[in-house]
Amino acid sequence: MSLERFEEDWQFLGDTARKVVRQLERKGVSAAEAFFSASRTTEVTIRNSQVLTENAIEDMGVGFRVATSDNRVGFACTNIAGDEKVLAETGEKAFSIAKLSPSSLHFALPENEKSPHVDGLFDKEAADIAVTEFVDVAYRLIRSVENVDRRVKAKDGRVSCSHSKKGVVNSFGVDKEADETYVFAYVLGTGMQNGEVTPSCYDFELKRKFKLNPEDIGAKVGRMVVAQFNPKPIESFEGVMVFEPEAVSYQICDALIHALKGENVAAGNSCWVGKIGSAVASEKLTIVDDGVSENGFGSRSFDDEGYPSQKTVLVSNGKLESFLHHAATANKLKMKNTGNASRFNASFEVAKQIIGNGYKAKPEVYPSNLIIQAGKKDQSQLISKIKKGLLIGSMAGFVQAGSGLISAQLARAHYVENGQLKHPVKGGMVTGIAFDWLNRVSDLANDSKQFQNSVVPSICVENVKVIGSR
Amino acid sequence: MFEIIEKSLESKEASRASLVQLRGQKRTMTLCTVLNNVLESFSRIDLSGVSARTLIQNRSWGFSSTNRLKKESVEQTLKTAVALASASARNKPKEAVVKEPPAQVATVKAKVKKSFEKASLEDIKEIPFDACRGALEAGAEVASAKATFLAVQDQKWFASSEGSRIYQESTRLLLFVDVIAKCGSLYCPASENLGHTGGLELFDMMPPASLGKDVAERAVKLLSAKPPPSGKFQVILHPTICATLLHEAIGHPLEADLAMEGGGFGGYVSKPVMSKLVTIYDDGVVERGLGYLPYDDEGIKSSRTFLVRNGVLESFMHDRTSAAAMNVSPTGNAHAWDYSVEPLIRQTNIGIEKGDFEEEEMLEDIKEGLFIQGTFGGQADASADFTFGFQNAYWIRHGKLAEMTRGANLSGNAIAVFKTVDAVSKEVVLRPGACGKGQFAIQGRVVPAVRCEILVGGAGS
Repeated sequence: MSLERFEEDWQFLGDTARKVVRQLERKGVSAAEAFFSASRTTEVTIRNSQVLTENAIEDMGVGFRVATSDNRVGFACTNIAGDEKVLAETGEKAFSIAKLSPSSLHFALPENEKSPHVDGLFDKEAADIAVTEFVDVAYRLIRSVENVDRRVKAKDGRVSCSHSKKGVVNSFGVDKEADETYVFAYVLGTGMQNGEVTPSCYDFELKRKFKLNPEDIGAKVGRMVVAQFNPKPIESFEGVMVFEPEAVSYQICDALIHALKGENVAAGNSCWVGKIGSAVASEKLTIVDDGVSENGFGSRSFDDEGYPSQKTVLVSNGKLESFLHHAATANKLKMKNTGNASRFNASFEVAKQIIGNGYKAKPEVYPSNLIIQAGKKDQSQLISKIKKGLLIGSMAGFVQAGSGLISAQLARAHYVENGQLKHPVKGGMVTGIAFDWLNRVSDLANDSKQFQNSVVPSICVENVKVIGSR
Repeated sequence: MFEIIEKSLESKEASRASLVQLRGQKRTMTLCTVLNNVLESFSRIDLSGVSARTLIQNRSWGFSSTNRLKKESVEQTLKTAVALASASARNKPKEAVVKEPPAQVATVKAKVKKSFEKASLEDIKEIPFDACRGALEAGAEVASAKATFLAVQDQKWFASSEGSRIYQESTRLLLFVDVIAKCGSLYCPASENLGHTGGLELFDMMPPASLGKDVAERAVKLLSAKPPPSGKFQVILHPTICATLLHEAIGHPLEADLAMEGGGFGGYVSKPVMSKLVTIYDDGVVERGLGYLPYDDEGIKSSRTFLVRNGVLESFMHDRTSAAAMNVSPTGNAHAWDYSVEPLIRQTNIGIEKGDFEEEEMLEDIKEGLFIQGTFGGQADASADFTFGFQNAYWIRHGKLAEMTRGANLSGNAIAVFKTVDAVSKEVVLRPGACGKGQFAIQGRVVPAVRCEILVGGAGS
């Protein structure tokens, strides 16, 4: 769709959504909200050393949340965005669901407060890049992975750019809109050696501009694959682990996010309930959520309920300072809203994945950019001090909700002895409680990497149990 | 819908492509979540849209989709797909010759006994409330009980330049129950899902309240259980966990796109790859299965595809492109999550054929082992290396079930694990499943219990 058409449709949707909110107000709802979002995405996918397909996907829709005076809440959404009648009916549907619903305590929508300006979240050029440029980047990714070694193949990958719009209007005077661009380049490689396939290795870049470095990403992936050749099984032992950013961003951040999410705190499912002001982690750890960092991939001027984004200190030198909130959890716990309402976060919950995100979803508390403050040393300095341990690039397996139990497969790891990388590890697992690990963090490296909703460095953890595969 | 999409097949844009596949869809979802007897979410989601997928010069695919449901936007979408496919056509070295299947003209509606459409919003809301109440009855230790009911009603239209016109209609119902039991700082989660393609008769077989209670009782029981051990054990995998292993670690590597160019099963067709007791198939026409998809999103009719027969690798799961590349027939495994995304090679209802063993017989020969139950999901890569969580286990000592343990993760290489299978149960069950291979999907699994050797990553001893 042309940009003009997209803007025209968007204008119509926003105007109509505002109208529907006003209509609902006249019908006696106590609160109404329209969240509308749209995206134009171009992507090129890679499969088995080839460009598999070029895709262009456009979507636009609106979700209405309506509350009655006794706090009964309903939600309905549609992507039939060009039809005024359907949009009005959708608002009505949300209202009729609300009337049927039992009262939900502590529902809240934010009041209108001024949002900060955050630089570098939208790039007009990126929004209109020709698909041939995506194809070019995709082939450069493939070539640079495979140029490293002829045994290495680019199995999977994606180059994409989304121009996305969002708007929030509510009956308390919030009326905000924003444009953003998301650029993503990713490639995954594996290698075949002595009839054995290496674990999958991947790398990616998340940007706001179409300024990508496919040669760097590709070469890094190629080298990661080669480093996995000739793996050896290990014995079970307890030792020092250096978790690289990818491993930190996945299981360890998941445990952290679970403990910090307002909903879990409100439901008593967070193991950090009642611990504000107490030590919950090693003194070396400072963790913030920064929704306003320039160019940040998870940055935004306002959250998905229209509340201003901010920087929130969560853990300061090991001491718990704050949880993450949206309007309802802040209201319930009588704490301050931190502007963390999210309708775009990646959820592991099957029902949420089926529903989808953006206008299709109700907001959930989620970090914008969860930042674990980096250390000063290079990763190699961390490794050089290890007598016996592992360098863990990537682990597979979920964290157990609430308890923080991790028992993960070593998807990509190296055995370390007397400060030296010895060999890649075949099979095996690490196990422990993520929150105990946080207490045993002895150092952090200076190699922070941006993930979708986090920016994290390598961290060094003492006394971690490894289950060998021998 | 056919009127809206058909016309563009005659357009000039369509004539530039060797193949055009158009898909229209209307989807309504109803979601109701109850947490600790409080309604957390009650939502209606109405979606519709169209997509065009085109093959240019028999070698390059392009895809485009829109939520705009008008004749001119369908034509515009087709035009975009053609332009996209042309962008990399000259770079593609191999010709992806896609064999022309016979044109399919069909209307298929999945069987329903108790129509979901007739249920009122009030009736619907009671489903998760019942489950939640049932769970909270299990005791004061239940710290959190969450029940989510979800209905996905689909109408799908498929029209191709080869003359296919297929209309498919289905309703899929799901109920998720997640419970956390708590004692001091100890958290024990347990969960279970129900799901099928069909109507509300799903809950005649298992009432929501009973499901809630079962899950919660298990969570409470886990509070007094010890952590599981670590190391390699002889185990019996209950169908709940067998389903995850089958889908993630065996199913994915049997998808042609993952198997090609160096996957764990690549190059092993017609060779023995696992125990002779194992026969694995994928079947898009298993009634009630969440992967009941009689035609795939390239218009190929589904049937049962044997993937492994008596331990010998027989076939991969294919779409038309991978089938052409390997010179076999497509197997009806091209599926897109919805109209907005392109079809990928996906499982439908993957299954293991039943064996000869009663449960007691499977226990008999085990001196010391574990009976492993429940899944917390997991992941695997193309080489069949996997990790996934189980919810609880029972020790097996001298052929008898002994005390319960808590959950942890299992890991290993599934091909190696399936070589160790030495018993498959007589009973098979149909399970709900989900998958996130680039896009989301809900699928069925038809699974027995199996006995094998596996690495357990517990913290106990």
